[in-house]
Formats: sequence, C-alpha cells, structure tokens
Amino acid sequence: MNTRSIRFRLTVWYAGLLGLLLLLFGASTYLGLRHYLNQTLNESLGRQAQQIGDSFLVDVATGGEGYVISEINEHYAPELNNRFVRVTRADGSVLYVSGKPKESSFDPSAVSAVGAPVDRDFMREVHAPGGELLIYTHPFTERTGQRYLIEVGAPYEQVEVVLYGLLLALALGFPLTVIVAISGGWLLMRRALNPVDEITRGAEQITSRNLSQRLPVAKTGDELDRLSAALNRMIERLEESFLYVSRFTADASHELRTPLTILRGELEAASGQPEVAPDLRETIGSALEETERLSRIVESLMAISRLDAGEARMERDVLDLAELAASTTEQMRLLAEDKEIALRCESEELVSIEGDRARLKQVIVNLVDNAIKYTPAGGLVGVKVRASNGRAMLEVNDNGVGIPAEALPHIFERFYRVDKARSRQMGGAGLGLSIIKAIVTAHGGQVRVESVEGKGSRFLVDLPVADKTSE
Amino acid sequence: MRLLLVEDEEKVSRLIVKSLTAERFAVDVAADGARGLEMAGTYDYDLIILDLMLPGLSGTDALRQIRQQNEHIPVLILTARDAIGDKVLHFEIGADDYLTKPFAFAELIARVKALLRRGAVSRANALRVGDLELDRLSQQVRRAGKRIELTAKEYSLLEYLMANAGRVVSRAMIIEHVWDQSFDGATNIVDVYVRHLRNKVDDLHERKLIRTARGVGYAISDEEAA
Repeated sequence: MNTRSIRFRLTVWYAGLLGLLLLLFGASTYLGLRHYLNQTLNESLGRQAQQIGDSFLVDVATGGEGYVISEINEHYAPELNNRFVRVTRADGSVLYVSGKPKESSFDPSAVSAVGAPVDRDFMREVHAPGGELLIYTHPFTERTGQRYLIEVGAPYEQVEVVLYGLLLALALGFPLTVIVAISGGWLLMRRALNPVDEITRGAEQITSRNLSQRLPVAKTGDELDRLSAALNRMIERLEESFLYVSRFTADASHELRTPLTILRGELEAASGQPEVAPDLRETIGSALEETERLSRIVESLMAISRLDAGEARMERDVLDLAELAASTTEQMRLLAEDKEIALRCESEELVSIEGDRARLKQVIVNLVDNAIKYTPAGGLVGVKVRASNGRAMLEVNDNGVGIPAEALPHIFERFYRVDKARSRQMGGAGLGLSIIKAIVTAHGGQVRVESVEGKGSRFLVDLPVADKTSE
Repeated sequence: MRLLLVEDEEKVSRLIVKSLTAERFAVDVAADGARGLEMAGTYDYDLIILDLMLPGLSGTDALRQIRQQNEHIPVLILTARDAIGDKVLHFEIGADDYLTKPFAFAELIARVKALLRRGAVSRANALRVGDLELDRLSQQVRRAGKRIELTAKEYSLLEYLMANAGRVVSRAMIIEHVWDQSFDGATNIVDVYVRHLRNKVDDLHERKLIRTARGVGYAISDEEAA
C-alpha cells in the first residue's frame, strides 16, 4: 500500500478525526450520565427521607412508634426496593431499620451510625459488606421537640450497572464505527480518485508521436474534469509547437534541395569538361563530395522529422527479424573482411515482427556499419537476434573503441558526435543513431546502448513481436 | 529525340538542358504548368520531365491533364518532395519515374534513357569494354580471354558499370541497383566493392578500365582517363 497516496492519507485523517470525535463524545456522554444518575439518586433519597419525616414521624406522638414502622414498611417496602431505611432517636437508639434486601446486596445491620450530632441534611458513602451504599441523612424534629435522624440509602451498584452498560456499548461501538468509517472512506476515495488514475494512465501514454491523443473527460463537471480539460489544452499547445518544429525542419530541408541540385549540377558539369586542369578537377571533386554530404544531412533531417511527426508512410509487413539480420549481415561481410574484423551473426530460428522492411534493414546496416567503423583491425562484431518476453531483441556488439561514459546519454541526439574530428573523418554527420532511434520508436520499440570505453559497445534494439493472430 | 522540360527554377532547367543537350537530346522548356500543358498538347514529344512545384497550375494537375490527352508518353517527375505517399500518388496518376532533388545529373540522364528505351529494352547478352567481356547468360567474365572469378555482388556491380559503359554512375545509383536504399549514406560499401573489383579486373593489366570521378561516382571505359 502506498502510504503517500492521497487516498491513504485522507483515509487516515478521516478515521483519526472520527475516532477523536467519538472518544470525546463517549467521554462526555459517560460523565454526563454519571452526573445525572448520581443527582437523580440523591434527590430521590432526599425526597424519601423528608417524606418519612413529614408524613409518618410527625405522628409518632399520637400514632405510636409501631404505627410509624408499619407505615414505612407499607409505603416504601425497603426490602423489595433495595432500599436502606433507618430512623434513630436522639439518644442513639434505633427506632426502625429495614431488613436485608431481596437480593442481599448489603447488610443493613452493619451500616455504622452517624457519630456526631447532625443539624442539617447531608450525603455519605458507606462501605457496607456486599457493596457501596449511598446514604442520605435527614435530621427531623417532631412537634413535641423530640429529635430523630432519618437515613435513606441505596446501593451505588444501581448507578454502576447503568454506567457499565454504557461503557460496554461505547467500547464495542467505537472500533466498529471506526472500521466502517475507514472502509467506507477508502471506497469513497477510490471512487473519487479513480478518474485520477485514468488521467495518469492516459498522460503516461502520450509521447511526441501521439500528441493528437487526448485524455478522457468524463463530463461530470467536477474538479478532475477541469484537470483533464486543462491537461488536454496543454497537450494541444504542445502538439502545435511540436508540429511547428517538425514542419520547420521539413520546410528548411525542402528549401535546401533546389539550391543543392543547382550546386551539384554546376559542379558536375564543370568536372565533366575535358579541358579542366587536374588540380581544379580535384577541387571540384572535393566540392562535390561536400555537396553530397550536405544532401545526405538534408535527407536524414527530413527523414527524422517525418518519422518524429508520424508523417512517414510505413509499410507494415510481417517479417522475420532473424532472417533480415542474417541476410543484411551477410551483405556487409566484405566491409568487415576489408578491415580484418570477424563478423558473426547468431539468431534464433524465427523472430517475427511487423514493420517496414527497408527501414528496419537500415537500422541493422547503420548499427553494423558503426560497429565496423569503430572497431580496429582484428576485432569482433557480433549480431544477435532473439525473442524474449514478447519482445524481439536485436543486439549489435563489438570489442572496439567504445563510448566514453559522459557521452552515453547523448549519442542518440541529433548532430551529437563523440569524437568530432574522428567521426567527421568517417564521413558522418551525427545523424545515423538519431535515424535509428526515430525508426525504432516509430515501430513501438526502444534502442539503448551499453559501452565501456576501450572495451567495446553493445547496442540493443527491442521491438514488439508480431501479433500471431494477425498473420 | 525531343523532350519537354517543365521547370520554373531557371538555373535548374538551364543545367538540365545543358546535360541533356550534351547527350544529343533536343529539349524545350516551359516555366509553368499551363505553358507546359499547352506545349505538351502542341508538339509530339518523346518524353516529359515535370517539376511538381510550379506556379499556377501545379505539376500534379498538369500530369492529370497530360494523361487525359496522351496515355503513352513517358513522364518523369522531378521534385523536392520525397514523401513516399507523394510518390505513390503520382505513380497512380500516371508518372513513369520519380526523381528527388537533389539528384546527380548522371542519374537523370540514365533514367531518361531507361524510359526512352522502355518497351524495346536492348539487353545484349554480351557486354564488352576494351578486352573485358561479360556474358549475361553464363554470368562469366573474361579479361583478355582469361576467366575472372567474381562473387555475386561483384558481378552485379560490374554488370551495372558495363551496362552504363562510358558514363559516370553515382554511388546512389549503384546502391539502388546493386544493393537497396537501406545501404544509402551510411556506408562506404560501394567503395570497398569497387576496390575489390579493381583488384580482380585491373590490377594485373597495364590498361585500367575502372575510373573514379571524384565526388560523382565511378565509370568503366576503354578511353584513357582525361
């Protein structure tokens, strides 16, 4: 998983924020509920204590203590309601105490008495055996002036059970909610960001050769749509400037042709005159050679700009690259023998590719010719063709002078020459490898080079193999 | 033989006229398409050399109209455009040959001659230059009666030179006829083969037949080099 992706980061932020909010919400709910429950219990205990005083204990003089006890039992049924009730006389003796509650959650007889004299209501917590007890104490003075202490209590467990239930619900609900939120957010982000992937894929496929292509625009009117549209407008501007450059190269080459024709014609005509002196004939010959080189540069530039602009008309035949390499190498054998270079061609039986036979042959001729040129006498030039992983591989290697490391990244650039004096002497214009690259690229292939200066070079061309179904 | 040249570039047409006149052709020149079409309809030419980029009526349209008048007259297209699509289009319209500027004038003349003898191609079985003989049937080559062993490519090269005996043929022409265009420009393959051919044909003999025209190409002839 790419932890730097927007999708990942947004989901993490989203889930983190949600978790934090849930935590705050849970805490405030818990605290609020606890406060509310405590208060409610307090109020209810206080009300009961006051009622015991105002309704029953008031009549103790007329009704007698037995009446008070039966009234309390009848109205509050403390044992059934899990309540603790105790009424104490001023001298400390107990008038009434409730029995053990139904669930025996506490023992009323074990609840300690309030030691000090009491003149107002208060709350206290008592640790009785079996649980904590919350007790409300209410002093009461009867009409005759007799003082009593009324205590009403309830086990704190009641509150704790509710709070525990809430805590359990929160503990279960929290991770569940976060997981649902993460997966929901993840899916939502995927939906939202899918168009970005499409735009990326589309943009990756656009090269100088297919600038007429455009990115998909979903027409949803959202931000990503605007991005696609903006990118498309940028590609359009790129296409215009690319076309302009390649038109310019083509036009310039074109315009050079007529003067070159005239120059060449004049020189040829002059050289054909029988009365021309030998040294003048040499000069004219030299000028003619230069004219020819100029023509070749113009032709090469034209060819490259056409291939780059995708304007070149390409034949698309299915052919055997192994056979083409073998026969072309054979035709160049004499060139190698002339320099006492061993020329070897190894190839697999059949490597079928689809392409322009003449242009692919030009690639092989140029590569082998280069290898022979830059390999000293006694050297070795090898040509290999093989198919691997759905690609046709053509390799031309030599053990010649090699290419300096700093020149390697540039050798496919137009007019780039490793050793200027040397290659000019060889008659090159620095366009041979550019043509190779343009042809190979136009075939959907790639060309690369590996070289160690002084040890030799290895040029690798890989082309897509022909689709078997189209044969 | 009377030829019509339709070419607006004055210097180019002057050079073409000069080189064709030297080969004893009569050449008329039209400087634009309309004039060319008019002349093609008026006189009975043996061949038309037509430039494509012309003021007014374009070469392409002129070719269409010439073909409506006359189906048979050979037309050689001369152009600075070399897109293969262009070539195919003009062959479809009815061009007989296509030459891209800049061209060697030797090549223009060779092509003009080839077009003119089309239909009645004289393919003599035996070619002879001085005491060098080439027999096309047995593919044997003899100099002064002595057999010379040649490889297939050397034989093709020598045959091409001898078929054009006395005339300079450019490297481009040799590559196109003996190899193919894939070898164009990149290699000195022609020079290497010519050197090997010289070793076999000329080395043992006082009289050298294969001659280098610097900057132009090679020629084979029995005349002493000028």
